[in-house]
Amino acid sequence: MDELKQVFLQESNEQLDALEALLLELEARPDDETTLNGIFRAAHTIKGAAGMVECAAVESFAHVVENVLDRLRNHEIAVSTELAALMLACTDQLRVLVADEAGVADVAAEEIQARTAALLARLGEYGPAAVGGQVSASPKASEPGVQRIPARHAGHTCWHISVRFGPDVLRQGMDPENFLRFLETVGNIRHIETLADGMPAAEAMDPELCYLGFEIALESAADKQAIEDVFAFVRDECRLAILPPDSKVGDYLKLIDSLPEDSLRLGEILVRVGALTADELAEGLRAQATPASADSAPEGTPIGEILVARQVVQPEIVAAAVAKQTQVSEKKAHDAKLIRVPADKLDHLINLVGELVIAGAATSLLAHTRRDGELIESSSLLTRLVEEIRDASLQLRTVQIGETFNRFQRLVRDACKDLGKDVELVISGGETELDKSIVEKIGDPLMHLVRNSLDHGIEAPAVREAAGKSPRGTLSLNAYHDAGNIVIEVADDGAGLNRERILAKAVERGLVEPDVHLSDREVYDLIFAPGLSTAEQVTNLSGRGVGMDVVRRNLQALRGTINVDSHPGQGTRLTLRLPLTLAIIDGFLVVSANRSYVIPLDAVVECIERPVTEHDRNYFNLRGQVLPAVCLRESFKLPGERPARESVVVVQYAGQRAGIVVDRLAGELQAVIKPLGAIFRHLQGIGGSTILGSGEVALILDISALIKISGQAEQRLLARPEQRNA
Amino acid sequence: MRPPGSGSQHVKTIMLVDDSATVLLSISGILAKAGFQVVTASSAEDGQKKLAAGTKPDLLITDLNMPGMNGIEFIKVVRQRAELRFMPILFLTTESQQSKRAEAKAAGASGWIVKPATADTLLNTIKLVLR
Repeated sequence: MDELKQVFLQESNEQLDALEALLLELEARPDDETTLNGIFRAAHTIKGAAGMVECAAVESFAHVVENVLDRLRNHEIAVSTELAALMLACTDQLRVLVADEAGVADVAAEEIQARTAALLARLGEYGPAAVGGQVSASPKASEPGVQRIPARHAGHTCWHISVRFGPDVLRQGMDPENFLRFLETVGNIRHIETLADGMPAAEAMDPELCYLGFEIALESAADKQAIEDVFAFVRDECRLAILPPDSKVGDYLKLIDSLPEDSLRLGEILVRVGALTADELAEGLRAQATPASADSAPEGTPIGEILVARQVVQPEIVAAAVAKQTQVSEKKAHDAKLIRVPADKLDHLINLVGELVIAGAATSLLAHTRRDGELIESSSLLTRLVEEIRDASLQLRTVQIGETFNRFQRLVRDACKDLGKDVELVISGGETELDKSIVEKIGDPLMHLVRNSLDHGIEAPAVREAAGKSPRGTLSLNAYHDAGNIVIEVADDGAGLNRERILAKAVERGLVEPDVHLSDREVYDLIFAPGLSTAEQVTNLSGRGVGMDVVRRNLQALRGTINVDSHPGQGTRLTLRLPLTLAIIDGFLVVSANRSYVIPLDAVVECIERPVTEHDRNYFNLRGQVLPAVCLRESFKLPGERPARESVVVVQYAGQRAGIVVDRLAGELQAVIKPLGAIFRHLQGIGGSTILGSGEVALILDISALIKISGQAEQRLLARPEQRNA
Repeated sequence: MRPPGSGSQHVKTIMLVDDSATVLLSISGILAKAGFQVVTASSAEDGQKKLAAGTKPDLLITDLNMPGMNGIEFIKVVRQRAELRFMPILFLTTESQQSKRAEAKAAGASGWIVKPATADTLLNTIKLVLR
């Protein structure tokens, strides 16, 4: 796909998001001019952009939508729920059409066409412009009432053009000379006379005004429209007459009459230009002197009529324009200065900054070992600046979460209609920023949580009233920063979680023992266990097989966590915690067989030494608790002898603990995560790589996978005890 | 291709103002290919800033319907700059916006380009207004 197409797709999707948000706003405030104008402009921009990339399907559909919106904006039709719903459907259809253009539509071509046709039919009810849905993508300018006069090649082929420019033509940035030059592209100027009769005396003359006129004989095979088009930009302000070749003498005389200059002088000019012969002029002027004979001379009326019509048409357009001049002020520019930068360039920058951080740390370490005061001083200044650069460049990738939140307006609205519930979505903290890659991945889990709340959390209006609550439920989305993390809350004022039902279900599934006593928090945490769904029925919204366990897993993939807090009858609050960025992590460096590995610091609980006597066991004792031990040397089949003293890094992941057995510990570091190439994708236990200050590559351990591998190995051994003894 | 209407060796600069990235990219592509130097701005405010910073285009092409300052106000503001009083200004419009033309011309525009324009139409129109 070329760059232009990509820009078009991105822009269309942005405009469609804006359109959708504004349409929802319109439902709440149907009379808001700003919203109406914003809606119109979004549709207009999509149409315009589609035209530029020659995407006719989007352009013609957007055109019809725009026409209806235009009528809406001009108060020719009223805002109604049906119309808003139709416009939302059209927005969806535009999305599909745009996706189709990109070749990523998930709808079959026939289906798209059928939907377009159906929507066009419905749009037709709202505007005459949409009737039949026939829209030509770029209609040719042709004005009614103007008869096209073809050029005649026989004999006299010179058109006569008479033009007097308006005084403001220079102030409008036009140069009269340009018209002459441009006429040369239409034909050959055979003769030209410049008229400066309008020029006042020097002291009264304004050098910024134009007083000129031309009488031109143009030899051309073009039609009248083409010649007239040359003067399109000034036609409203200038006097323009175009006489075709072979026009009757009477037409020239009428022209002379209509012009401000002295008739006799003009006549002479026309003779000089070659439009008339001296005899014709003399005869014509004589005829004019006697009115009776002028009346009885019917020659050439059609052209004369066109000429008159020509000069009458224009004022109407001006009047229409003035009527429409009362335009309301446009919505304030919220995205004033943006630069589009390809995401991979930013990724590259962040990578480099990460390496800078590491190199800076190495230098600082070196300075400290050398005990050189000045070097320490300057390296600490450098470190500080590097950290600022790191923060600033990470900031470049951040986006506000508001856009993601706003998408749920539509979801809540649609779901309420489906479920017969009344729910208000309250959004706060939309300006909170976080890494774009996280924003992209958080959308699905969030949507699941919102659906869950709508479906199972908030009760039907009647039930709410019976419980003494307002029939209208509230669902709130909130985001804020907390200690280097971003916190997202999804809260509802619904029924809350049902402790007994969760517990019963968990016992039924064998997740907990029947007689175990659990705290509320432990019970609520069970909703994230696989295969536990408390919904009695599967509805259209949630319960489609993606459970809360998937939500938690998705969050953990982002190195995030989720907590649930619930009070019966008062509601449920889900709290998501996510790191601000995925690009750089705090890591813990360990070494086995002279190879460096990084363990994400947030997984590390503590480090202990392991006596040589325990070398052969795959478990170890942590203050009375038996934990599995994963030896890196064994897992990765590293060569060499095990050292006498090994270290164990106790890690915790998703509530499970384990020990990673390594040769030695090398301290904390900041690691810039570099993904591994596709050929390493099947490797288990490794999540990525990073480059150390020394230039050495270190692998980042995937703790969850390592824990799983050790568990599987254990189970295999248990299943075949003879191997264990062997 | 030699820039149309350029008598001297001077490369003509065209400033293009439109809030649609697609329009900016496609038109600036056509102009650049035709040998013009193109300065783009994504809003009237952005355009104003670039003019204030010393960009002196030989031609300004602006959209009318933009968020923030609209094209007509922008044309008025541009015309108030002494050095740009006689610069040709074209505005981008559509068939459905004919009524806006008189308004834009009254604000000081020289002419218009009907979107979507073919490269030929665009370059021809520019040739007509560029000195």
